[in-house]
Amino acid sequence: MSGTLKPYLAAVRRTLTAAMCLENFSSQIVEKHNKPEVEVRASKELLLTPILISRNDKEKVLIESSINSMRISIAVKQADDLEKLLCHNFTRFMTMRAEHFIILRRKPIEGYDISFLITNIHVEQMYKHKIVDFVIYFMEEIDREISEMKLSMNARARICAEEFLKRF
Amino acid sequence: MSRNDGKKDSSASTFRKIDVDQYSDNNFREEDADGGIGGPTGPDENEILTLLSQGKNAEALISVLRSAPLGCKNQQVKDNARNLTLKVLLSIKSTQIDDCLGQLDRDLLDVLMKYIYRGFEIPTEGSSSHLLTWHEKVYNISGVGSIVRAFADSKRA
Repeated sequence: MSGTLKPYLAAVRRTLTAAMCLENFSSQIVEKHNKPEVEVRASKELLLTPILISRNDKEKVLIESSINSMRISIAVKQADDLEKLLCHNFTRFMTMRAEHFIILRRKPIEGYDISFLITNIHVEQMYKHKIVDFVIYFMEEIDREISEMKLSMNARARICAEEFLKRF
Repeated sequence: MSRNDGKKDSSASTFRKIDVDQYSDNNFREEDADGGIGGPTGPDENEILTLLSQGKNAEALISVLRSAPLGCKNQQVKDNARNLTLKVLLSIKSTQIDDCLGQLDRDLLDVLMKYIYRGFEIPTEGSSSHLLTWHEKVYNISGVGSIVRAFADSKRA
């Protein structure tokens, strides 16, 4: 299983690097507005082909790009109900603090667990390769974090059960 | 006293909802759909399967990429081509990939990259890891350019 992680992340990294060519672009519909085109979807010619990269049927990344913004949505592996719950709480914790992560979207795209929205302003203010690094690092970490939480939760449950059963 | 006391006036506010921009001449227009008939019909399935069964994987790959219905507007035709290309890609073993790629020119590599990305959309057992190998090898030859073309080309796979 873990053998496919490295090529998976490499493919995502290359695709992100290719997609992150963003420039300032004012709205074509409303004067003096400047909106991320990937969100408003007002004109078809500004949206690029959405690209999906999957590692298996559970884990996948959707990269939607447009002239001034791009959206990265990540589906995290969830093997059982416990992982589902942990993942939900973890992503909820993050999205509630989305302003600290700058590029995090407050609400994930339907079918995915967490989404990032990167606009041209982010690319101008931060290094592009650092943003890519951050997303890749995030994908590595979230898997590790969830499996660690799962282990510690099981360990804790075992200790609790032992303590409780000592009485009998 | 008020200017809007007549019923007529308030109902007439629907004009605000009219999308006047659609009548602009500067709008982007997609090229007209070819309606499915007369357009490219995609690769010939029998021919490809025959090539595969004879072990001529590289020829099958070239043939399927050459006849890819990229300009076609019919989603069904595209999906059929996608499934067939995926079958060819998966039947080529990891050790044979380099040989096959050596026989492709730049344009076919771009088409191949588009189909690799399409293939990720229907993950089956082990298919994604094989496609990741393909992705890496194609990237090593044609670099970031073919990924950009997969993103930006209006002729989608």
